[in-house]
Amino acid sequence: MESKNVLVVGSGISGVASALELANAGVNVYLIEKEAVVGGHSASFCCKATDVCSRCSACVVPDKIREAVINPRIRLLTNSTIKKLSGDLGNFRVEITQQPRYIDVEKCIACGLCTEVCPADPKAVYPPTVEATPFCYILDEALCLRFKGEKCDICRENCPTRAIEFELKPKEQELSVGALIVATGFDVFDAKEKGSLGYGRYPNVLTGLDLEQIFGREGYLRLSINGKEPRNIAFIQCVGSRDEDHGYCSQVCCKYAMKLAGLIKYQSLDTKVTIFYIDLQTAGKGFAQFYEEYKESIRFVRGVPVEILQTASGDLEVRFEDISQGKVCRDTFDLVVLSVGITPGKNSWGLARILGINLADDGFFDTKDSLSSNETNVDGIFLAGTCQGPKDIPDSVAHGIAAASKTIQALGGVASQRRGNHRGH
Amino acid sequence: METKIGIFLCNCGEAIRNIDFAATKEEVAQIPGVSCVNLSSNLCLKEGKEKMISCIKEENIEKVVVAACSPEFKEHIFRQVLEDAGLNGHLFSTANIREQCSWVHDGDVTGKAVELIKMAVNRARLLQPVEKKKFAVNREVLVVGGGFAAINAALQLSRVGLRTTLLEREAILGSETAELGSLCGFDISSMMSEVEGDENIEILTSAEVTAAAGKIGDFTVRIRKGGDEASHKYGAVVLATGYQTKLALESELKSDVNIVSQKKLCRMLENPNLEIRPRTIGFMFDFSDENSRLPTLATLNNALAAKQKWDSEIYVFCKSLKVDGPGAEKLYREARDCGVVFLKCEARPRITAGNGRVKIEAKDVFLGEDTILACDLLVAEELLLPSEGTEALSSLLNIRRDSRGFYQDENVHLYPVASEKKGIFFVGGCRGDLDLSRVLTDVSSVVVSVYELLSSGNILAEVERVKVDPQKCVACLTCIRVCPHDAIQLVRVDGGKEVAEVFDLACDACGICAAMCPAKAITFQGYRDEEILAQVETIEES
Repeated sequence: MESKNVLVVGSGISGVASALELANAGVNVYLIEKEAVVGGHSASFCCKATDVCSRCSACVVPDKIREAVINPRIRLLTNSTIKKLSGDLGNFRVEITQQPRYIDVEKCIACGLCTEVCPADPKAVYPPTVEATPFCYILDEALCLRFKGEKCDICRENCPTRAIEFELKPKEQELSVGALIVATGFDVFDAKEKGSLGYGRYPNVLTGLDLEQIFGREGYLRLSINGKEPRNIAFIQCVGSRDEDHGYCSQVCCKYAMKLAGLIKYQSLDTKVTIFYIDLQTAGKGFAQFYEEYKESIRFVRGVPVEILQTASGDLEVRFEDISQGKVCRDTFDLVVLSVGITPGKNSWGLARILGINLADDGFFDTKDSLSSNETNVDGIFLAGTCQGPKDIPDSVAHGIAAASKTIQALGGVASQRRGNHRGH
Repeated sequence: METKIGIFLCNCGEAIRNIDFAATKEEVAQIPGVSCVNLSSNLCLKEGKEKMISCIKEENIEKVVVAACSPEFKEHIFRQVLEDAGLNGHLFSTANIREQCSWVHDGDVTGKAVELIKMAVNRARLLQPVEKKKFAVNREVLVVGGGFAAINAALQLSRVGLRTTLLEREAILGSETAELGSLCGFDISSMMSEVEGDENIEILTSAEVTAAAGKIGDFTVRIRKGGDEASHKYGAVVLATGYQTKLALESELKSDVNIVSQKKLCRMLENPNLEIRPRTIGFMFDFSDENSRLPTLATLNNALAAKQKWDSEIYVFCKSLKVDGPGAEKLYREARDCGVVFLKCEARPRITAGNGRVKIEAKDVFLGEDTILACDLLVAEELLLPSEGTEALSSLLNIRRDSRGFYQDENVHLYPVASEKKGIFFVGGCRGDLDLSRVLTDVSSVVVSVYELLSSGNILAEVERVKVDPQKCVACLTCIRVCPHDAIQLVRVDGGKEVAEVFDLACDACGICAAMCPAKAITFQGYRDEEILAQVETIEES
């Protein structure tokens, strides 16, 4: 039954939640992902537990992804994008372009022989990150000697399962689906856009995402310039949220900043942590208690600094307005973390044009009306997760499931209409 | 007769080079019970899997050991191979000779690989199958509550073909929703007529739950309506009981014409015959409770409306504006643009009333000085509390609440709308402070979850993954106390003795009860003591 296929665009946590929910309800799903690995941003977040769970939800993600990848009703297409869409609710036709990844996901057994024999420097074929799904090696066109015109095929010759194939062109295919769920997620705000904060220029200015990945990889924090433990850390909130260009709250930054600060305090009690903020977003299940617990040990300063300068010793001088004294103050830190926000995906505009759906003023996909957050202006195209607006992990999951629910209800409506017509004849 | 065990070795496309597979094969073939050993270079690929299936069938193998890569990676594939070969998927044990052996050592590790395989074989010998069975479920759903969330849940459940009972404590449905409708600009009357005309929805007003029992697919709920009380059967229960607000006022103050709630202000705004328009209005929120998303939204909406209708001077006192909801920041900017003044204070302002005015004394952090405002109207701070009866209903249904008394535990592993007890869900304000679009998201996610559980009329589930030995059980209730899913209950067996029984559908196979049982009466298939000890003893022997 054609109307029983659904296309989910994007395999972050909300796309995966939608796909799983549809599959469990007996619907066949195509899950397409433009990257080589599944999971989106959510898969790169770290666990922020101290001796107790801090309820950041990062651990929920890998299980869901795994469940989706092995689900027989979900067909995963990585390196794929939508080229064209036609038709309407119940019978959409979608043209998909799949870029070759040169290594067959079905055949790669992650043995590592290809990396071992690759003569390029740096290696042109390498394993994906530890938590990547599917765990298939990656062949980098930009580094591979063969794509530079040389006659090298050492990796292909050595691959025990013959998984490597060079002569591949982008694959075009047309899918028939009853409905689409757009779950293309967000882009992390590029902190370089705020030049005065020095991200990219000063090695000790990091973003919240950098910190997540450092904790995820290493489990502890060291300064990149001298390998020492930072002793005095500042978090700056609302970098890329609630400013002239971003008229919304990203909803996640206060939570992750405070949870990371909590983790830092737990690992080393005498490290000083300061959080510069506009308004603290401490609402939400279990989070108010978390704030109560840390509000004594973390210094909270109202007001967001606008300039960071590096001192001769490599420390960072943060200039901010001390409201209680009514003057500009300077404070020195050895690490500054910018709590970067959620911005609309850069590809949203292109996708909106292909699908015929609207974008809202803030750049996220627009909904049919202000109350329904899943429906778009096109019947049969639904939204899930942060491509509709900022959300944390639990909200993204709920939104993804809700999109699946709306899809099933819409397709159920189509099916019962068809049955009705059939009886009529 | 000895169990026939088949061992499947995989050298991972010859990528495992520090294990002598010929020697390994020879050695593990000597283990008692092993009827065949196969070496493959691509066990997880099509060719390898086909060989595995035909070998299992030809040799009549009963238990399978795979010695290959990490089970994280391919275990699900091998379990499927067993099913395809007609074996129960649980009769499978794995020896990780790649990640935990070959790749972590330099030099020859044949000896360790052989030991790992021996351990897996000794475990496999004791494995028992876990069968699956279809359990019939009741397709009726009970929705408790009669507000916005409850009505929408019933309507959407009806749309996916499930019959629903809407149970409301008050005499009419949606008494609060009507005000909400006018506040948020949606049409309540069409929603009401739709729900009343829906033949899939039975409406019980002035009714309440007095007792509840049973598990997912088969709940028995006693409902009292008027003087009558009767038992009804449901497959799932959706709680949509909402929240209530309480003014957070100093003991010497009470709400009157000058001190009002957000709701009262709404009614004043809608009243075209209002005699005196308040010229100065003060709003307060976010001092007594961090969970002030809804008070923030209400303040922003009401402040804007009062500006437009009355052109009042408006001052908002708060600690932090909770703008982490859709559209809140936009409203905040709008309010500032049209002249609403926001004063942020660390400490709760002091309020005194007299002579028809309310005096607010606060220390504003931006000005850095004490501010005194005399206003005609104070919209007081509101606390969000679980609605009346939340506690009683949660103990009837035996489900946990969070630290503020709302439904649902703070467990991140739960879906936001699911309880720890399968078949019981929450939507909307009864689980936390949610704006309307989040409430609708809740409704939709609950509907699809209930649809998956009940639509086919039965659920396929594993039988006796967790088993209780009635001989050993002393009914100490430890398992019942520790089970997070409320899946265990006492039943009377022959001879009048009471023992614990695990209800398969409600069980989540977490294994906590098996670990905690002091009499060792509960066993968890795949992780029974014998199976674990058999592996440990293998190491001891060598």
